[in-house]
Amino acid sequence: MAFANTFYNTIVKRNSVFVSTIFVGAFAFGIGFDMGVTAFYDRWNQGKQWKDIRHKYVEAE
Amino acid sequence: MASINAVKKAVMLSPTVRTLPSGVPVAPFINLAARAPASAHDHGHGHGSSVRSDLPAKFVGGVSRSPVSGLVSKTLVTAPTTTFFQPRTLHTSAATKEPAVPDFSSYRASNTSSNRAVSYFMVGSLGLLSASVAKSSVTEFLTTMAASADVLALAKVEVDLNTIPEGKNVIIKWRGKPVFIRHRTQAEIEEARSADWKTFRDPQSDEERAKKPEWLVMLGVCTHLGCVPIGEAGDYGGWFCPCHGSHYDISGRARKGPAPLNLEVPVHDFNDAEGKLVIG
Repeated sequence: MAFANTFYNTIVKRNSVFVSTIFVGAFAFGIGFDMGVTAFYDRWNQGKQWKDIRHKYVEAE
Repeated sequence: MASINAVKKAVMLSPTVRTLPSGVPVAPFINLAARAPASAHDHGHGHGSSVRSDLPAKFVGGVSRSPVSGLVSKTLVTAPTTTFFQPRTLHTSAATKEPAVPDFSSYRASNTSSNRAVSYFMVGSLGLLSASVAKSSVTEFLTTMAASADVLALAKVEVDLNTIPEGKNVIIKWRGKPVFIRHRTQAEIEEARSADWKTFRDPQSDEERAKKPEWLVMLGVCTHLGCVPIGEAGDYGGWFCPCHGSHYDISGRARKGPAPLNLEVPVHDFNDAEGKLVIG
């Protein structure tokens, strides 16, 4: 309840703060989402991407 | 009232013995639904000798003569009094008490502030997701208009730095413009670095302009009106624009004449392993 009131009073009460919080949050969410998806993609395709197998071919030259 | 009750009563009613407080006479046995019977004396009403259609049929009841009781009116209570049947399924009797409102107190939120916070959190979350979707839509769309990787690769120029001796200029063409590459001597570097650049027209230090002190890379386009300056000329040992007499020093900075800005330094990188310079 205290947390709910704090949330309402600090963020929601003033619309300018609410909207700017949403925009900043959207920016952070976009970065975090990209990083998360990239990390998942790299783990899922581990050993198949060029950056994983590059050392096998480039070092031999 | 489901059974049929034959009510026999005398037609010759006694006069009313009392009245209601409202003044209406009390006449409990009068059946106001009984109508005048069909008779042959109805001529002149436009009905002929036939029975009036709105009268009850004979079997419903009627007035008859009895040797015992005299004139008798017999009415079957449950029979329809007329052929017009009007069911009255709704009654207008007033309710005896107020309808009871159910008790909703157990459904009411005991703490409205957390409900409010959750509602606004949901609104904000939806806004956040919508904003990020809109942002990525716009950026992805703008990315489609950017130059692709092969175009960017073609827009680069590689220069082999080993072929340029110290103290020499090389002019190459990059994106349709001349690019000056100067392999500076140690004396020139010291001259460029020791100059009091803060007093220049376009103050810029030599460290800002040259990534490596011995290599100066810049666009060979005079910042005044776009002529191509001449190398190793001018009052400052750098470049001189013959069109309107702008002088540039050994770092390509405008020192004299109408040129407002220093010669532009393009984006360039050094490939140390192969001794190459990549412009673009």
